[in-house]
Amino acid sequence: MRPLDWVVLFAALAGIVAYGLWKGRRTRDLDDFLVADRGQRWHRVALSIMATQASAVTFLATPGQAFADGMRFVQVYFGLPVAMVILSATAVPIYRRLKVYTAYEYLEGRFDLKTRTLAALLFLALRGLSTGVSLYAPSLILSVIMGWDIRVVIFIIGGAVMLYASTGGARAVDNTNFLQFLIIMGGMVVAFVTIVRLLPPDVSFLEAAHVAGKLGRLNAVDFSFDVKNQYNFWSGLLGGCFLALAYFGTDQSQVQRYLSGQSVAQSRLGLLFNGMVKVPMQFFILFLGATVFAFYQFTQPPVFFNPVQAERARAGARGAEFRALETEYAAAFDEKQKAAREYINALRAGDDAAAESASAGLKAAQDKANGVRGGALEVLKEFDAKPNDTNYVFLSFVTRYMPAGLVGLVLAAVFFASMSSTASEWSALAATTVVDIQRRLLKRDASERYYFVSSKLATVFWGCFAIAFAQYAGQLGSLVEAVNRLGSLFYGTLLGIFLLGFYFRRVTGTAAFLGALAGEAAVLYCFFYTSIAFLWFNVVGALVVVLAALALNPLTRAKPDTSEA
Amino acid sequence: MTGETRKHSREEEPPPFGGSWRTLYAVVLANLAVLVALFYVFTRAFR
Repeated sequence: MRPLDWVVLFAALAGIVAYGLWKGRRTRDLDDFLVADRGQRWHRVALSIMATQASAVTFLATPGQAFADGMRFVQVYFGLPVAMVILSATAVPIYRRLKVYTAYEYLEGRFDLKTRTLAALLFLALRGLSTGVSLYAPSLILSVIMGWDIRVVIFIIGGAVMLYASTGGARAVDNTNFLQFLIIMGGMVVAFVTIVRLLPPDVSFLEAAHVAGKLGRLNAVDFSFDVKNQYNFWSGLLGGCFLALAYFGTDQSQVQRYLSGQSVAQSRLGLLFNGMVKVPMQFFILFLGATVFAFYQFTQPPVFFNPVQAERARAGARGAEFRALETEYAAAFDEKQKAAREYINALRAGDDAAAESASAGLKAAQDKANGVRGGALEVLKEFDAKPNDTNYVFLSFVTRYMPAGLVGLVLAAVFFASMSSTASEWSALAATTVVDIQRRLLKRDASERYYFVSSKLATVFWGCFAIAFAQYAGQLGSLVEAVNRLGSLFYGTLLGIFLLGFYFRRVTGTAAFLGALAGEAAVLYCFFYTSIAFLWFNVVGALVVVLAALALNPLTRAKPDTSEA
Repeated sequence: MTGETRKHSREEEPPPFGGSWRTLYAVVLANLAVLVALFYVFTRAFR
């Protein structure tokens, strides 16, 4: 990082904190703090929703995922637009009509207190844990780049979010989310343009894309059906729809965003805009990763993208072996680059037979390079049981090759991504803690002012909790899957409860409660004892909740009083 | 018109563009179908 990058990064961070404090300065009561006085226009609702969902994980691990595995991850989002339509038509009018602060308030009116409390506790457990992961990702970047202790970095980022989230509440969070998301997307576009400009002058962008495609990195859609396959069209459409229904319909960190809309129409438009834009946005982020992959077909990549771990391996007991593998990897790269150029020449000549032959050579060269890298990973296992540099690919490219100033901008974008989702999560956790637990179960008749102050303190509490949990998030493996897996353990059950509430009017609270316990047990069974892909957990959880509640419902309904007859 | 009625009618308001909510829902789903089709073409073109 050069001085200009530091200036840009810290100016951006200081600026966004100041903006959040300024926007939240008029937050005076509970309505303001929890739902921004229900006064936001649809475009602010929309971008706040998108900023909440797109954490730093999205902008770090997703390009890395495309680099390592191709673009099939985009299919996870295919169900999202369908979910946006369903929620706009059903959940939004219900939540708005009841003027609730949290999604879980609705459950008490529809079922009973224990069902509301169960759902609120599930949310607190799920979101409380995952907010630590969201905080961990950008901290990892800074710790690697600056050589700082990651705990210090986590504390600094968490403190910055806490400043404006705990003082300005949802009003500050929504407004900073809006601005942050614009800067994030600007940063990503700048990064993409830079990658394309850095391709060798004798290789066109389209030709580089063909090389990446031939090596399996532009595989956006797969229509084959396999429940053990994490990413295909069917799991994305069905499992992804259930995941999105649960996330946007029952997760308070998202519900709070559209509850802050001016009206049903403004909230709906916010969700529908997300439904239109989310899939192409994810495609773009993945394509960014695939383009980095194409770039590294013509520029020597490191054998392992985490510079700290690579350096540790060089200095370790098997350092000589690791350095020899690095030399071997460089030779394998030269062969691969030659094969890539042969393939491009065959494409230019329009010679299908030569292209086919060159493509076989390219794949063989890729296999050889992967074999050498596999050897390096074996050496790295001395320090890390599962060495994984997926999350470092994009970061490594940015810091090595982007011009001064733009590195700071892209890093600021990644920080903003983390801050926006973290702020929404803390704000939602505070709302649920105060509205569903404290005000409903612990202290029912306190003043509005008391709950307002409690909400601020709850935001600080959850911030401290997330900061503490983030210390251990590094042991969870690939960040994308860690966050998604954590969600999928609880989301199916939460969704099942709400589906019962919205669509099965005769189901009682006790049946819903027992159904939820059965659903959660089914999901945990799938997680521990089967190899079903995690996206299907949402489907399994929701269906078991609904079916179990329907089966148990006749047993839990009160017998009709026949004494007058 | 009372305040409550005004608020109610505002909550039931049609979308500011697109004519009706059904039309907007159809546009979102059609957009998804077009994107999936384009991604399929993209996958085949570069594999």
